[in-house]
Amino acid sequence: MSAKPSTLSVIRWLVERDLRTLVKSPFIIINRTIFFLIQLFVFAVLVSRLASSLDFNYFDFYSVGLVVSTITSIAFIIGEDLFEEEELGLLDYLLSLPFGHSLFVLGRALGGAVRGLIYVTPMMVLVAYVDGNLSPVGIAGSLVVIFILATGISGLSITLAMLIRNANRFDITIALAELATVRVSAAIYPLFYMPGVLQPVASYSPVTSASNVVRAIILPASYSSGVYDWVILLLFVGIFFGLGSAFLFRKIEGGKFE
Amino acid sequence: MIEFKDVTKSFKNVDAVKGVTCEIRDREVFGLLGPNGAGKTTLIMTMATVYNPTRGEVFVEGHSASAEPDKVKALIGISFQDPKYDRILSAREILEWHAKVTGVEKGVREKRIDEVLAKFGLTGEARKRTWTLSGGTKKKIENAKVFVQRPKIAVFDEPTAYLDVPSRLMVWDMIDELRDEGSTVVLATNMMDEADRMSDRVGIMSRGEMVRVGEPAALKGSLRGRDVIEMKLGVPIPELPGEVSKVEEVKEARFEGDVLKIVLSNGRGLLPHMINVVTAKGGTVQSVNLKEPSLEDVFLYYTGMKLS
Repeated sequence: MSAKPSTLSVIRWLVERDLRTLVKSPFIIINRTIFFLIQLFVFAVLVSRLASSLDFNYFDFYSVGLVVSTITSIAFIIGEDLFEEEELGLLDYLLSLPFGHSLFVLGRALGGAVRGLIYVTPMMVLVAYVDGNLSPVGIAGSLVVIFILATGISGLSITLAMLIRNANRFDITIALAELATVRVSAAIYPLFYMPGVLQPVASYSPVTSASNVVRAIILPASYSSGVYDWVILLLFVGIFFGLGSAFLFRKIEGGKFE
Repeated sequence: MIEFKDVTKSFKNVDAVKGVTCEIRDREVFGLLGPNGAGKTTLIMTMATVYNPTRGEVFVEGHSASAEPDKVKALIGISFQDPKYDRILSAREILEWHAKVTGVEKGVREKRIDEVLAKFGLTGEARKRTWTLSGGTKKKIENAKVFVQRPKIAVFDEPTAYLDVPSRLMVWDMIDELRDEGSTVVLATNMMDEADRMSDRVGIMSRGEMVRVGEPAALKGSLRGRDVIEMKLGVPIPELPGEVSKVEEVKEARFEGDVLKIVLSNGRGLLPHMINVVTAKGGTVQSVNLKEPSLEDVFLYYTGMKLS
């Protein structure tokens, strides 16, 4: 008879499952990569010329923010996957496997984060290169920050997938959530230039915090970050991992009638 | 042993399973019989810890499904009614992942996967993405997950749906093998022949309730005295039902079109006499059919519903 697998093995296998499906969808990777390259070498170059009168280098600022916003977008995909799995009944299968529901949420959130990390690692290296700081330690540190953000965004996405029943509503909500987290943040423009009403919200955004920390690592001469950035990031992960788990339980138990 | 103790599972205002109490013994094939919507899948899901019972308790090998879900899940493998796996992956990838997660030892994993794929005739298709495969092949892969896992408790929900006759027979043989190796098998089905052939005992579910549990032969025996003789007559004679009802063993007689339907005990023994009674009254018997109670009749009798 079968032996019970360890917790670490289960997390590894849940992450592996996400990676296997990622490898089978190369067009998504190609599409995201092309989008990233166009944004960096066309959009960012053009806007930084337009913004050349300002007292900072917009290309450098934007390049880091582009990686952070890309990981944010990618991490949201896990909720779409989960929503689809629930619709196809795959969730019943996954929850019947010999591991706890919390471990399942953790595995999926980490799977989403690792998948996102694989997408953006080459982008991060490219950005570090064009920004003139190709330091392995800096890149590794940035990837850690990005990974933490991606775990939280995955948790948020799982929470939304568990809360919303209708597929169209879910697609719209995810699109709006993605737009809000990226646009109401300091990922692609400085807080100072944002409308006054949005500045307080954006200053507490985990995407702002992640952008601040990564900029401080890659562009230390121009940017700095504080402890509060880490606090916001870790709080964000904790809250949405907890909410994702709680809503997953509620959804299953309130579930559908077969 | 699996014990359901007064298990009720409600979804909002709907009771999908209502007060089910029954036991499934070790190493038996337990047929869970009922139409779609009877509550079979929900009952299985409470056993598999996917759903918590609203009331009552399920014990699997002495472990509470609510209090010790991980211990219970480690014992169970489920083949779902509709294939549930990542259709972007190949059969081999699906089986490899399932085997790993359910704790099949590395040393035997590949060999077992190869064997099961070969038995299902899927070796040549093992590396194709499963979304490109036929419905029957997808169902075989769903079943294959459990045959690779070889769990202590194997649950098959409609295992032969979408399968052709040779494949059905093979799945039945493989389920027999699993039982012979020591697994307890729960077989949810709405196919009477499958339940009759495969099950040591059958539980009949209807509208969320377990209405009867027993060995197929015993259940059919419980309807002894409800044999049916069907006589097709050239011309129906209205007084014939009344005439045959005078025989003590006859419980009911009526015409359905030009067929005289007689419900009685000892149909086999009384068949010649019944033909004599009919012909003596001028009836011309064109054909005769004697039906002894089948599992379908048992189901109809206890639920008032036809499975099909």
